[in-house]
Amino acid sequence: METQAYAPKDFKSDLKPIWCPGCGDFGVLQAIYRALAAIGRPPHEIAFVSGIGCSSRIPGYTTAYGFNSVHGRALPIAQGIKLANPDLLVLCAGGDGDGFSIGGGHLPHAVRRNADLTYIVMDNQVYGLTKGQLSPTSSRGRKTVTSAYGSLEQPINPLLQVLSYGAGFVAQGTPADTPGLTMLIEEAIRYPGFAFVNVQSPCVTYGEEHQQMRAQKAMMQPLASLGHDPADFLKALEWATRYGRELHTGVFYRNPEPPPSYEQQVRERQALLSRNALPRERILELFAPHA
Amino acid sequence: MAIRGIDLTTLTLKAALDLATLIEEEARDRYEELADQMQVHHTPDVERFFRRMVEVEQRHRDELARRRQALFGAAPPAVSRAAIFDVEAPDYDEVRQGMSVRAALESAMRSEVKAHDFFVRALPRVTDPDVKTLFEELRDEEVEHRQWVQAELDRLPAASGPDGDVSDEPVAQ
Amino acid sequence: MTSDLVIGMAGSGGDGIVSAGESLIAAAAREGYHALMTKSYGPQIRGGESSCRVRIATGQVHGPGGALDLAVALNWDDFLKFGAELTVSGGTVVVWDSASGITAEKLPLPGVTPARAMAVPLADLTRLATGSDKMKNSLVLGLLSGWLGLPPALVLDGLKKRFLRKGEALWQASERAFQAGFEYAGAQPLDADLRLAAATRPAGAAATLVADGNEMSAAAAIFAGCQFFGGYPITPSSEVMQFLSREIWKYGGTVLQAEDEIAGIAAAVGASFAGRKAMTATSGPGVDLKTEVLGLASMIEVPLVLLNVQRGGPSTGLPTRAEQGDLFQACFSAHGDVLRPVLAPTSVADSFDVMVEAFNIAEHYQTPVLVLSDQEIAQRKEAVDPIDTSRFEIVERLTPAASELQDYKRYRNTASGISPMSRPGMPGGAYLASGIEHNEAGAPASSGPAHTLMNEKRFRKIRALQQRDDLLLTEGDPGAPLAIVSWGSSAGVCREALRLAQAEGLRVKLLVPRLLYPVAEDAYVRFFGGVQAGLFVEQSLQGQLHRIVRMFVDLPPNVEALCRSGANPFQPLEVVERLRALARALPGRLSEPPAKE
Repeated sequence: METQAYAPKDFKSDLKPIWCPGCGDFGVLQAIYRALAAIGRPPHEIAFVSGIGCSSRIPGYTTAYGFNSVHGRALPIAQGIKLANPDLLVLCAGGDGDGFSIGGGHLPHAVRRNADLTYIVMDNQVYGLTKGQLSPTSSRGRKTVTSAYGSLEQPINPLLQVLSYGAGFVAQGTPADTPGLTMLIEEAIRYPGFAFVNVQSPCVTYGEEHQQMRAQKAMMQPLASLGHDPADFLKALEWATRYGRELHTGVFYRNPEPPPSYEQQVRERQALLSRNALPRERILELFAPHA
Repeated sequence: MAIRGIDLTTLTLKAALDLATLIEEEARDRYEELADQMQVHHTPDVERFFRRMVEVEQRHRDELARRRQALFGAAPPAVSRAAIFDVEAPDYDEVRQGMSVRAALESAMRSEVKAHDFFVRALPRVTDPDVKTLFEELRDEEVEHRQWVQAELDRLPAASGPDGDVSDEPVAQ
Repeated sequence: MTSDLVIGMAGSGGDGIVSAGESLIAAAAREGYHALMTKSYGPQIRGGESSCRVRIATGQVHGPGGALDLAVALNWDDFLKFGAELTVSGGTVVVWDSASGITAEKLPLPGVTPARAMAVPLADLTRLATGSDKMKNSLVLGLLSGWLGLPPALVLDGLKKRFLRKGEALWQASERAFQAGFEYAGAQPLDADLRLAAATRPAGAAATLVADGNEMSAAAAIFAGCQFFGGYPITPSSEVMQFLSREIWKYGGTVLQAEDEIAGIAAAVGASFAGRKAMTATSGPGVDLKTEVLGLASMIEVPLVLLNVQRGGPSTGLPTRAEQGDLFQACFSAHGDVLRPVLAPTSVADSFDVMVEAFNIAEHYQTPVLVLSDQEIAQRKEAVDPIDTSRFEIVERLTPAASELQDYKRYRNTASGISPMSRPGMPGGAYLASGIEHNEAGAPASSGPAHTLMNEKRFRKIRALQQRDDLLLTEGDPGAPLAIVSWGSSAGVCREALRLAQAEGLRVKLLVPRLLYPVAEDAYVRFFGGVQAGLFVEQSLQGQLHRIVRMFVDLPPNVEALCRSGANPFQPLEVVERLRALARALPGRLSEPPAKE
């Protein structure tokens, strides 16, 4: 795969984002531009798939081939793209509702197949596009337009989930630390297999005070500064249990021996089985009686 | 950390000029983005202000680029945009839909303070005398910029009329 | 001698009745006959009641036929559970295991006296030959081989291939049982002459093919260039995925058995967006789930083939029975104004043609295409004439020329509505595909004019299909005053009814639309010109095609629906009955050519 020198603005499209000024997603987008520039693949070799939500608008703001699909279905679509052309760099993005609620059923399977994708979730604990409803990561007791008296549900823990599904790369970042987030996204893309980056990207319109960037800056703790070794899976799980109460950034887990990706295995199988194939025009010979 | 992968102790004048140019470019691009956000969100006064800031940063940038060109010609830059993060560019978090010009000016002020502080912190680490001179100059310029922003703030009419947000409820999409 | 014979057999799954049917059809195929086999089961996974009908003929057959010529009941309890499929009439020769203790006078067939009733000690003979009664099915094959005049060597060859890999002992037992049956048939001939007339195989032809509708559809997909299948198991379509999961790798493709129906079609849409021909297959409940992504595919204009092997509905319905009740769903499901081509095959052989056509239409028009097969076509085996693959054209999607990649507009509003389609990896071709309404460049747009423009583009593009006259097949006298319209598995029945009606002197014509939607209005108007009475024959309570056609075309009076819920397949004679009634009820000389005007 050829790489070239690209500047971040080579990945910026002309479409003006509709996100509210102050939205955390601007920082995420900036980090994505920078990460892609560092990777050096041309924009036309990148497929960027998303679901539905404010953050799912993100592919249109890049010069990659974008696919802003339907709610919760970015992961299977992205897998189809990657299987169809494994040479593409495939990114997947969406919000916490898109990814963990309606899309939740697809997550374990994308992970266990080890599809070579990078999945970036902009987790803001609320449904922004549709005006502020509860999300699966909203904390218990949170008051929203659909939980006027406070949510009765425990939030899910996306870090713990994705780790337990067996992902080889799990990280968390925030646009409050764009340099750090840029590096995480770059590392995630480079990881040869399914890579997950959960981003605490605050909603400026519906988010609560303690979730905004100012508060995050005060609260965040890089795992590296706490002496965490990303090869230590069990420790990663332990740190992950603190999700929601504390904000840890950095790589929670990186598999030191990445297993082969799904697409790699598919390619090997195709190569093996193509050797003695009947030409397509003669496929009906398979139906000769007593064949 | 506002810069990454740059060793200030070995920074040459050429690289320092490249760095300074990039800082202005980054600020210019950020003001352009913020102006677009204000345009999309129908906050015309602030949009106009940010567009002015684009021109201001462009002027700063061009001056530095001219100096660099005069001294070092068209040699390729030693520093890349990837090395700097919001040195002078305002944080995305600084803006809000429907913000006032006052708030925008205060944000610009914070950016100039940020830039000023960057050079103040960098100076003790710089060893090259030409770079030292350059950074002192740039530090002092940031003071001028702050004064300019302050003058703009002072020129603003006093807030009149009642406080409070009268905009419509957000729209579900 | 007979040139068209229908055999029905029933027993329990453990008897291997269906395997016996498969051996029979394979042998018939090798001998050059046309043949068609359907199976019916109880709900048990293994060992429940099971039956099959095998029709063997010298000429082409279009359906399972009518009443049985020969019925073989390994036990009566099981046989009687299949009353609808295994119709015994006064012309049927009935053979059963005398071990049941039932005598010819006391056959459990109320109101029916078969042509000949013959109790055969099936279990005893098998035990005598092999030591147990396990190989009854091989014995039955021996009997059939003798009575029908099928070359025993052919049948034995098939038995050998089946049993030898399970063990030498099993094969030898099978062979001995077969011989015992063959000898018995020689010693106890049937009064009725059920021997088959010689097969007429075209000179120099390759061997006849034996396949069911599912595997034929899958093979057609590979032939058409499909390289991606995303799907989920569901009866009665799983075999399509299974066939492809064995073969598609050889052609650079892949099968993804996804975590659910939605992921299956979503992955296929992704693969198509990325440039590969892609498909999914399912049944009614799966189409329900896939509907949102179907709408997305229409909106972003990607080619896709969705094969719906219809089963009884609604909801979980009748998973192992055929019905033609998903036409409304195929045409109309997905919110908004969406126009999707819907095609339907009528037989196993036709499944090949229709699937290739579906891929061609999908690629050319950059649209999802629904193909409506049904459980009967999908799971019945047919021995068909070889298909000459060289007569098929394979169509590829329109891609942008180099000049079009300067300032490329993915959804450019062309005259045909079809805009060249780039794919990731193509320099200059990047665009945003999104379910949200968009402008020609693909950027989100929500104004009235923008939406109207795009809606009209998407509709205009597909409407062109209505001019494809080759997708509506007609037979019979073009000037006939009596008409039949039918589709899917009912069409085969109507083809036979047409021949029977013509033989009686009725002037009838038949229209079988391969393209069900959009409705080819002009073609229907032309077909119904001069028609005084007619029938739409289909297996759905609402007569869905009849209703849809009437949404767009004014039919002449006296065109009725002959329709009913599925699991009640039509028989040719009942269609003929209705035609006779129509003919009688109307004035004029419907059975004679019109006087020269």
